[in-house]
Amino acid sequence: MTTKKRSTKKRQPTKKAAAAKKSPAKRSPKAAFAVATNEKKTSAERAKAFVEAPLATIQSDETAQASLNVLRDREQPIKVRLAALQSLQAASFSVIEFEPYREDYLATLREIVDDKDEELRQRVLGILAREKDGYVQKRLLEGLQDSSKALVPPEKALQLLSYDVHAEAYPVAREIVNDPPSPEAKREALRLLSADANSAPVFEKLLRDKEEDRDVRQISAVALQTVKPKRFQEQARELVLDEKEYDDIQATALTGLAQFGDEKAVAKDQKLMKRAEELGKAKSAKVKKTAKRFLTRYGTEK
Amino acid sequence: MNVEIQINNSPNANARFVTWAPAPCRIRITNPAGAQGQGSPPIRISARTSTNGGALVFRRGTTGAFATTLSLNVPVNGNWVSFFTAGQFGRPSVSLNDVQIQARHGNGNQVIGSTPCTVRIRKNANNLTPAERDRFIAAFAQLNNQGLGRFADFRDMHTNVSSPQAHGRPGFLPWHRAYLLDLERELQAIDPSVALHYWRFDRPSPNIFTREYLGESDNLGTVFFSGTNPLQFWVTDGVPGITRRPFFDTSQATGVRTEAQTLALGTTFTNFRTMEGNPHGNAHTSFGGSISSIGTAARDPLFFLLHCNVDRLWAKWQQQNNRFNPATAASFEEVAANPPGHRLADTMWPWNGITTPPRPPTAPGGTLAPSPVVAAPGLSPRVRDSLDFQGKVSAAACMGFDYDDVPFS
Repeated sequence: MTTKKRSTKKRQPTKKAAAAKKSPAKRSPKAAFAVATNEKKTSAERAKAFVEAPLATIQSDETAQASLNVLRDREQPIKVRLAALQSLQAASFSVIEFEPYREDYLATLREIVDDKDEELRQRVLGILAREKDGYVQKRLLEGLQDSSKALVPPEKALQLLSYDVHAEAYPVAREIVNDPPSPEAKREALRLLSADANSAPVFEKLLRDKEEDRDVRQISAVALQTVKPKRFQEQARELVLDEKEYDDIQATALTGLAQFGDEKAVAKDQKLMKRAEELGKAKSAKVKKTAKRFLTRYGTEK
Repeated sequence: MNVEIQINNSPNANARFVTWAPAPCRIRITNPAGAQGQGSPPIRISARTSTNGGALVFRRGTTGAFATTLSLNVPVNGNWVSFFTAGQFGRPSVSLNDVQIQARHGNGNQVIGSTPCTVRIRKNANNLTPAERDRFIAAFAQLNNQGLGRFADFRDMHTNVSSPQAHGRPGFLPWHRAYLLDLERELQAIDPSVALHYWRFDRPSPNIFTREYLGESDNLGTVFFSGTNPLQFWVTDGVPGITRRPFFDTSQATGVRTEAQTLALGTTFTNFRTMEGNPHGNAHTSFGGSISSIGTAARDPLFFLLHCNVDRLWAKWQQQNNRFNPATAASFEEVAANPPGHRLADTMWPWNGITTPPRPPTAPGGTLAPSPVVAAPGLSPRVRDSLDFQGKVSAAACMGFDYDDVPFS
């Protein structure tokens, strides 16, 4: 009996296999999920598969549990964990289907708020902060008060706390404004404080301070308009009249007046109107544009 | 001789808007001088377009081909004669009243009557002219009015509590269509030249993510605006600003399922609506920040452009598969056991004002904003009312919006 020798030639992939490799997007959600949870596949393949069909993560109790397991498992490649997170978060928009898994999902997120990967921590904290999660709010505040407990930089903590502003955050935010660890932290502290009417004097002072960072002055303008609109209008007027003021601050002031100004009061203000006409011919394109818009609103420009 | 032309059969300037769908018009002779004894002289109707402006086509009745001119016999006794106009596909307006319907007597050159018109179309937000962009964001900022404006109702319509009304079941697409239309009409009450434009999330849209437009994000996810941009005064939930941290390079596409892949999901609504996961859910979670969580997504104005693209994809799928008729099984996924708000005959919260379980406890915003142009979908639309948005099954169902790349035919 002769035995057929096994061919040593590399077997060519079938047409079907080649087509599947070319367009993985055409595979079924079930097939994609199988790749996502297969630890023998590369991180890149698994991450791509997770993101391809987010609803597959909540197809059944088993797929939901498997997805959560990948997310919480600190030994899994971070790329895959981030993809699992993105996929589950995308699936969460299908609220009715996601509902049975929501509590487990949030509990899993709380478990990993202190993960060693900073990106994962930030994303997880962000999701929980937007859910107004009391546990995360407490951890973020603790981190602001004691940097050894901080899970994220102070500016990020402040940003996340602004999703659900409570008065407990104001004292630490005020401290940061007075003694900021970074410009970003000061800026985020100001944003958080713009829900606090008592901070109006701070915003006013920063808005008028030409030595202050431009972004801080812009935030202060917006914050002042939020808590004390009449005071902002008065300050904005002064900024527009000030011939030594920076273009972008004047642009903000004019935009605020054009958008929210008291029509009767502004139209009667001849000094302001005259100044706006001058600025309508300014060299700065920004100032010119906002001056023209202002004049369109108050009638002298067509 | 003079004539009067009415668009949408209304004398109101607010009604002079058309889309790609046929709009009813009428013409009558108001001063028959020079035509006495002629009975019903011929009147030639055409459109005059500004540079790069909208263009119109015309036809006599409810069927037949459209053409760039139309000849009608109009009686000298002042009786109305009806006709139809529509935007010429591919030629939307770029500013208010940039196209005029003009009438001439027979083959004469003199214009004996004209009416301005706007071909108002939802466009790719990345491709707007600077003037279109500025009007769009100014209207949005005005609607927000530093947190005190009507936008607060739209923000409150899309929360964790209300989310089952609009997600996870077949009502997802109809509900969001009504939601976007409601917001768009409020924007148009501020500036009638404005339409709600879409973010084409499967293509690079670098113009959108700039300080002059929807803002530029830093590494933290804080969005910055130019001093000229009124969105710098954006406030929601009492806090100024927007947080949005892209997980992709904003000069590139997001990497979500492409339009072609989405349209290929299937020819039945059951299959198509899985796009709620990808690309819809993935578009949301291509960012950190407000837009990436259901309860806070509507705090970011980008949310409305994202959903406008979702709606456009549905519109395109409908057009490709002829899925406008609720009576066609494949046009919707009708399941009796679905919760309220997800069946064809159901009214939709909040416009129905129902606040008893299983509906949410409040119904912000009241009824859906009416339009001076069309009557549909009504103040308290049903799910079924969202399907025939172009009025193909019934002209009365036309909702008064269209997309730049989804034709009527």
